[in-house]
Amino acid sequence: MGETIHVAFVGNPNCGKTTLFNAITGSKLKVANWPGVTVEKKEGQASYKDTPLTIVDTPGIYSLTCYTIEEQVTRNCVMDDEIDVIVNVVDASSLERNLYLSLQLLELGKPVILALNMMDVVRDRGMEIDLHRLPEMLGDIPVVPVSAAKREGLDILLHAVKHHHMESPRLAEGKLPFTYPEPIETKIEKLQVMLNAHYPGHHHLRWHAIKLLEWDEQVRKEHPMSIVNVADKNYEKDIIHAKYNYIETIVEEVVFYKEKKAASTDKADRLLTHPVFGVPVFLCIMALVFFLTFTVGDALKGVFEEGLSVFSGFAKQLLLGMNASDWLVSLIVDGIIAGVGGILTFLPNIFILFLALAVLEDSGYMARVAYVMDNIMGKAGLSGKAFLPMVLGFGCTVPAIMATRALETEKDRRRTMFITPFMSCSARLPVYVLFADMFFGKYAPLASFSMYVIGLLIAIFIALILNVKDKGKENDSLLIELPEYKRPNGKTIRIYVWNKLKDYLTKAGTTIFVASIFIWFLLNYGMNGMVSNPEESFGAIIGKVLVPVLKPAGLGMWQIVVALISGISAKEVVVSSFAVLFGISNANSPEGMAVILSHIRQGIPDFGMLNSYSLMLFCLLYTPCIATIATIRKESGSLKFTVKMLAFQLVLAYLVSVAFFQAGSLCAGLW
Amino acid sequence: MTLYEGKVGNFYEISGVYVEENITRRLEALGLNAKTTVAILNRKKKGAMIIKVRGTRLAIGSHIAKSIEVKGEEV
Repeated sequence: MGETIHVAFVGNPNCGKTTLFNAITGSKLKVANWPGVTVEKKEGQASYKDTPLTIVDTPGIYSLTCYTIEEQVTRNCVMDDEIDVIVNVVDASSLERNLYLSLQLLELGKPVILALNMMDVVRDRGMEIDLHRLPEMLGDIPVVPVSAAKREGLDILLHAVKHHHMESPRLAEGKLPFTYPEPIETKIEKLQVMLNAHYPGHHHLRWHAIKLLEWDEQVRKEHPMSIVNVADKNYEKDIIHAKYNYIETIVEEVVFYKEKKAASTDKADRLLTHPVFGVPVFLCIMALVFFLTFTVGDALKGVFEEGLSVFSGFAKQLLLGMNASDWLVSLIVDGIIAGVGGILTFLPNIFILFLALAVLEDSGYMARVAYVMDNIMGKAGLSGKAFLPMVLGFGCTVPAIMATRALETEKDRRRTMFITPFMSCSARLPVYVLFADMFFGKYAPLASFSMYVIGLLIAIFIALILNVKDKGKENDSLLIELPEYKRPNGKTIRIYVWNKLKDYLTKAGTTIFVASIFIWFLLNYGMNGMVSNPEESFGAIIGKVLVPVLKPAGLGMWQIVVALISGISAKEVVVSSFAVLFGISNANSPEGMAVILSHIRQGIPDFGMLNSYSLMLFCLLYTPCIATIATIRKESGSLKFTVKMLAFQLVLAYLVSVAFFQAGSLCAGLW
Repeated sequence: MTLYEGKVGNFYEISGVYVEENITRRLEALGLNAKTTVAILNRKKKGAMIIKVRGTRLAIGSHIAKSIEVKGEEV
C-alpha cells in the first residue's frame, strides 16, 4: 500500500463535482441540477492500484475570491497544505466560463488535473474539443475527458492523479500557462521578491503576489507588509481581463462547432420564465406536486395499513403467548408499535413528495424559480436566490437552513433562516393528512394544500414586515446561473429519494421510537406509579396546566397539549402521540380515525372542522423540531437569534390559530 | 445605454460595469467584462432579466442590469 494521496475536487457550481465524487468513492451525496447544492466539503475514500486516495468534494466556486461561506470553505480547502493534487472539474460544454477558475488554480503552483466532464453533452451538441491543443495551452497539465454520469474515464483520471501528485511545482520550472502584460508581470515579480524576503519559505508565491495586486482582503490581512509602492491601485480588473483574453484565445483554438443546438432550453424558458405566467406556472407545478403527494400517496397507504394491523395483532398474540407482563405488552403494542408503526403508514406520501421534489431539482427548473420569484422576494428585501432554501423547506427544514450559506450577506441569511421554518416540511404532512382526512372528506387534499400556501404567504409577509422594520430597500441584485434543462437522471433521483426515505425511517427508529416510549410513560405513570386511569397520569397533570391557554384556539384538551409539546422532538410525533394517547395501533386507518375522533369528542364535544383546521395551523407555524432548532443555532451562531425566533413562532402560531378559531366560530354562529 | 434598456433577442457589447465593488468583481469573474457580447434572452417588464454571456445563462436583477453600460448591436 502506498501513502494516501489527498485529492480535492474543485470547479464551478453545477459542473458535476459531486456526481464524479459519488462515482469514484461510491458515496451517495445529494446531486441536483442547480448551482449551490453542495455547501459543505465532504470527504470520501477510494483507491487506485493499491494507492489509497482521500477525496474531498467542495462547494462550487467561480473564482478564488470569496464572498459567501461556501466559497470560503472551498478556498480554505484548496489552500490547505494537506491537499496534494487538485482535480479541476470542468463543464466541457461551458468551457469559456469554467477555464477562468482553472487559470487561477494553475497559478497556485499545486499539481492540477483537468477533468473535462460532460463530454457526452459536448458531443450531443455537435461540439468538438481539441484534446491535444487544450493541455498545451494550459501549461501541459493532464486533461482527462470524463463523463461522471456515465462513469466513463474514471480510471484514466485516477491514473493521472496517481502519477502527477508528486510533481514538482510547475511554476518553478517556468511552465506558466500564460503571462500577464509586461507592467503587471513586473509587479508580480517585485511582490514575489518582497514576499520571499518577509516570509522565507512561503508557498504559492506567485498566487499570493497576484492576490496582493488584486487587493484580496484575506491575503492582505495575512501578509501585513507595505506594498503601496508596487500595488498602488487595485489591479484586479486588469488581471481578470488578461485571463479572459487568454481564455478567448484558448476557446478559439480548441472548441469547434460552437453551440449548434441549445434551443430546447430556450423554448422551455419561454413559458417557464415568462414575465406574466412565470409565477402562476410555478404555483401550478407546486400544486401538482402536493396533489400527487396526497392522492397517489393515500392510494398506496392501504397496503401499509394492512401490513401494520396484521403485525400489531401478531405481536400482541406472541407477547400474550409468552406470558409477558401487562406493562410490557402495553409498552410494545400501545407505545412502540402504535407510535412508530403509525408513522410508517405515511411513507407512501413522503415517497411521492420527495420523488416530485427530486425531479424538480434535477430538471434545471429550481434556479429558474429564483428568477421567477425575484420581484416578490425583492420587495421583502431578499434576492430571488433566497427562495431556493425556502423551496427546499418543503422537503426538510434542516438542509434548507444549510442552503442559506449560498446567500451573499449575513443579513439575507438571517432573514431567510427566520422565515424558512414556515415552509411546511414533510414531517408536518402526517398531521395534515390525518386531520384533513378526518374532517374534510373529499376536500381533504385541498385543506392540506392550503397549509402550504398559507405557510408560503406568511413567510413572505414576515420578510416584508422585517424589511419595513429595518427600513431596508428593495433588493434587485439577483445573480444566479441558470443551467440547461435536462432529463432527470434515474440514478440521481434514486439516491435523492432513498436518502430521504432512509432519513425518515431512521427518524422513525430513533426520535419517534424514543418519543413514543416517553409518551407511553407519561400516560401510564402518575404520582403513585402505574395508573389505570390516564386522567391521573403525569401527561394529564402537565397537559391540564396549559388547557386554559389553548382553549381559545379550540384546542383545550390535555391530550392535544401533550401531543403538541411532544411534536417539538419531531413533527410526526404529534400524530404518534395521538396514537399512543388513545391506544390506536394504526392512526391512519378509517377505524383509527374513528377512535381518535370519539376520544377527542369526549374532551371537546363539538370538535369539528374549525378545531381541526386550527390544529393544522398551529402545527404549521409553531416551534420547529429540535433538529431544526439545533441547525439554526449552529448556522446563525447566535443563541439570542434562535431564542427570539422560537418565541416569535410560538406566539405567531397561537395568535393565528386563536384568531382563526374565534373568527370561524363567530361566522358559524351567525350563519 | 444600459443593458436594462435593452430588448429581448438583441445582442449588446459591454462597455463598462459600474456597480458596487463586490458585485463588479463577481460579474467580471463570470466574464462580463468590457467588449464582451451579451444577449438578452428574457426579461420581466420591471425587474430581473435572463442574459447569455460566454455560453452561460445568467439571471440578473434590475439593479445589476442598470449598472452595465452597453453599446447597442441590433440583430
